[in-house]
Amino acid sequence: MNAGSLSGTLTVLVVGALMCVAPATGRPALQFGVRVPRDRLGAPVIRKERRAYYWRTAAVVICCTAAALAIDSNGWVTRIILLPEFAANLVCFLAARRKITAVKNADHWFAGQRQTVVADTSWRTDPPRFPVRWLVPALAVVAATVVVGALRYPGLPAHLVTGSGRRLSKTAVSVLVVAGQLYITTLCSGLMLIVYRSRPDIEAADAAASTLRYRRFLAAYSRAVLTVAALADTTLLLVGLREWQVYAPAGPGRALLALPVAAGVLLLSTVALRTGQGGSKLNGNVRGIGRAAGCDRDDDRFWKAGLVYVNRDDPSVMAAARFGAGWTLNLGNPAAWLIIGGIFAAWAGFIVIGVLAGI
Amino acid sequence: MLLSIEPDGPVPIYQQIRDRIVEAIAGGRQPAGSALPSTRQLAVDLGVNFHTVNKGYDLLRQEGLLRLGRKSGAVVRRDADSGPPDPGWAQDWAGRLRTLLAEAAAQGLPAAEIVRECQAAIAEFAFPDAVADGVNGSGSPL
Repeated sequence: MNAGSLSGTLTVLVVGALMCVAPATGRPALQFGVRVPRDRLGAPVIRKERRAYYWRTAAVVICCTAAALAIDSNGWVTRIILLPEFAANLVCFLAARRKITAVKNADHWFAGQRQTVVADTSWRTDPPRFPVRWLVPALAVVAATVVVGALRYPGLPAHLVTGSGRRLSKTAVSVLVVAGQLYITTLCSGLMLIVYRSRPDIEAADAAASTLRYRRFLAAYSRAVLTVAALADTTLLLVGLREWQVYAPAGPGRALLALPVAAGVLLLSTVALRTGQGGSKLNGNVRGIGRAAGCDRDDDRFWKAGLVYVNRDDPSVMAAARFGAGWTLNLGNPAAWLIIGGIFAAWAGFIVIGVLAGI
Repeated sequence: MLLSIEPDGPVPIYQQIRDRIVEAIAGGRQPAGSALPSTRQLAVDLGVNFHTVNKGYDLLRQEGLLRLGRKSGAVVRRDADSGPPDPGWAQDWAGRLRTLLAEAAAQGLPAAEIVRECQAAIAEFAFPDAVADGVNGSGSPL
């Protein structure tokens, strides 16, 4: 097995495993993107569908990883398996969601419930601070890359020859490495900054305690995201060092380039599994503050397929994701489309530079 | 302060926002001089249009409970410790209270239960010491 095939197979395995355990990170009141009132959390259909989802997605992971191992030819070929793997897991998710929704609607789970939305004004009058210091490692890696690149650049030939024998412009390669790092760092820090200004993910029935838990979750998750940015930048630095002929990895050692990114994915997954979405797995009971009457609002109608949030009346740009841990954009807000446009415009820029450079 | 609304309830959202803030001021959770989130921030947190929050804040401003400034934002203007209300306000309030009590009487709620409910609500408010003593010492002022 070559390095490309090894990293491709591991990617298929890790992505499948993460999708398999995703329900374990979610809020108990959100099952497969369906809002569930507290008194229905133990409904038989939820237990049954969770069990079925775990078995089905585990089977998908095993089949896809076995296929990736069997192909064992080229990293890109094995990575193509990610597409059917993702589609199969999505089908498992939608099947579970459809069955829970059917029972919810048939039994009128929210009938007679007092549905409320709660805001904790202390979130704005005493807002959490964005961890700027955790951005330093990522910026330090970018600075180191620029320094090494500037030192190596004059001594390099006009065209670099890759391992596969292709000739690439040294300017394009150098620009792509540094621009890639800046893109990742800006994307991670920019999105987290928006999250800090967005609505906290709190439960109406336990607002004070869940705000406290969300503060701790946001602090841990944002630090993890900025660390992931630093690790991804490190992978690009290693790629740059290889292209600038500082070192020449050979054999399975070439897979080491992906090691920082893999460590980042592992870190983020561990934080998500330990804290739960919005800090739902953390302890954070507030003594002396009673629980609000009522339950969370049944807002399923704003969630397409339980994954995509579209609410034109909500001025928030980002909202807490309903499946897994993290956040998603509110596609009902024009600002969200501007962000998506910016992300894809940057991608398009990279592709244009790559094409011009003959990559 | 926890601000709870029912978006699908019969009471307009701006009215609910106004009511919850009045209750927080009366309960001492939002004293005079304390800041409230800006209209845009509260709109994001409640997931409602910011014009709705603006309408609720404007009601409170008209009632003299909130001061809205470009730089200072929304600040609570007065509370129970800020002295007697503006002239004429008590008369208007007494009229509204009469209607509210009439609703309870018309629906057949016994007088004793109406008084009990009123006392329970007053017990949750942060009255200045002198007024609170008056309520507790001489029985019910109602």
